[in-house]
Amino acid sequence: MANEAIAEKERNGTAILRAEGIVKQFGSKRALDGVSFEISKGDFLSLFGPNGAGKTTLLKTIATIVQPTAGHLYFDGESVTDRSIFLRAQIGFVSHNYLLYDDLTARENLVFFGRMYGVVDLDDRIDFLLDRVGLTGRQHDLVRTFSRGMIQRLSIARAILHDPEILLFDEPYTGLDIQATKVLDDLLEELKKGRHTFIMTSHDIDKGFEHATRVAILARGRIVFDAPKDAVDKDAFAETFWQWVDEK
Amino acid sequence: MELRTKELFNSMFLFALLALIIFNFAFAGSMPKSVLAGALWVAFLFASVLGLNRSFVKEQDKGCLEGLLLAPADRSAIYFGKFLGNLVFLLFVEAVSLPLVTVFFNRTEIVHHPLELAGILVLGSVAISSVGTILSAITANTKTRELLLPILLFPLMIPVIIGAVEITAYIFEPKGTIDQWLRLLVVYDIIFVLVPYVLFDYVVEE
Repeated sequence: MANEAIAEKERNGTAILRAEGIVKQFGSKRALDGVSFEISKGDFLSLFGPNGAGKTTLLKTIATIVQPTAGHLYFDGESVTDRSIFLRAQIGFVSHNYLLYDDLTARENLVFFGRMYGVVDLDDRIDFLLDRVGLTGRQHDLVRTFSRGMIQRLSIARAILHDPEILLFDEPYTGLDIQATKVLDDLLEELKKGRHTFIMTSHDIDKGFEHATRVAILARGRIVFDAPKDAVDKDAFAETFWQWVDEK
Repeated sequence: MELRTKELFNSMFLFALLALIIFNFAFAGSMPKSVLAGALWVAFLFASVLGLNRSFVKEQDKGCLEGLLLAPADRSAIYFGKFLGNLVFLLFVEAVSLPLVTVFFNRTEIVHHPLELAGILVLGSVAISSVGTILSAITANTKTRELLLPILLFPLMIPVIIGAVEITAYIFEPKGTIDQWLRLLVVYDIIFVLVPYVLFDYVVEE
């Protein structure tokens, strides 16, 4: 199934990101064991997998936080092995960790990261994003006073501050209440209109399917299923997913 | 963040001052000039460890190091930023401590050659900050980082402290020559600012 999907992409020829045989070894443990996939511009790839499958490691490898032990990563057809600085400018990452400083205010965090990315008209951009994520009224409050949902919204604002092409979300719905989930849903729908490319890991099959154009399963460090969402029956997919969870 | 919390400066400054007070009373207020040189550098070195231990804590504990690693820039910029921050904190602690020592302990030799003293403080502090910052990054991931950092740092600081004490004692009371110690400190600073620049990528990589 994974090979058929890659063949389809090659025919279409619009891959923005391509991974070939990505391996990541931590000591004797292989977190990624030859991951290969392609994702086209504008795609929303929902990546599912049991705990310990390597989802976070894969996202960190794409974000160049982690260097692969072997394999290659291509952005817009060019190898990024020697161009990781260029690739990082194209990526926004919403991680398990907030990547926000508790002792800074919401606005100060965005100013810090905005300067890091060289964002033009930074103040206007921050005003726009704070309004978009509903945090204008709390912009001068320290992040340590924020709820989980507010922190997640601010993390998204930080991730899209520099208007990256590729957005990586690592289980963004974890720990969110209903209101925060609704806000995140609306944000993702709006971001999708902007033709960003997304990779989102999730345990929640409903949420993953809701946003996805492609769905994939990562298990034991490998992509074991990869297909367009429209070609997949959700219930059958869920059954396949749980089989891999049980086999873990 | 430091301007808001003043956490680092307060702890470093108070420690340095307390150490110098103890040294002063240990010698019943008549500490020889050569011992004063050693006391100053012991106080500043131990105070710097307090600051260096906290250097990467906020990034490590809250995952903010990943945020910095995502920056579209050479990762050595993170090292240089931290190094300069630690250097500024240490120099500030020294700049505030020394006048107090001069006034309260009547150690006028400190103000006789301010430029020379400033020069050796910068040379010594650069060495402490450069080595301390890279070691802080290495130990930040460990559970026993507050114990491990001084264990790794102090042996590497031996040539720096000996050289700095010799030069400082010479400033207070010129005797003998210090050319070899000056050369040692300058070369040490150059090497231990450049080596972390090369190594930092490997230190922060998961």
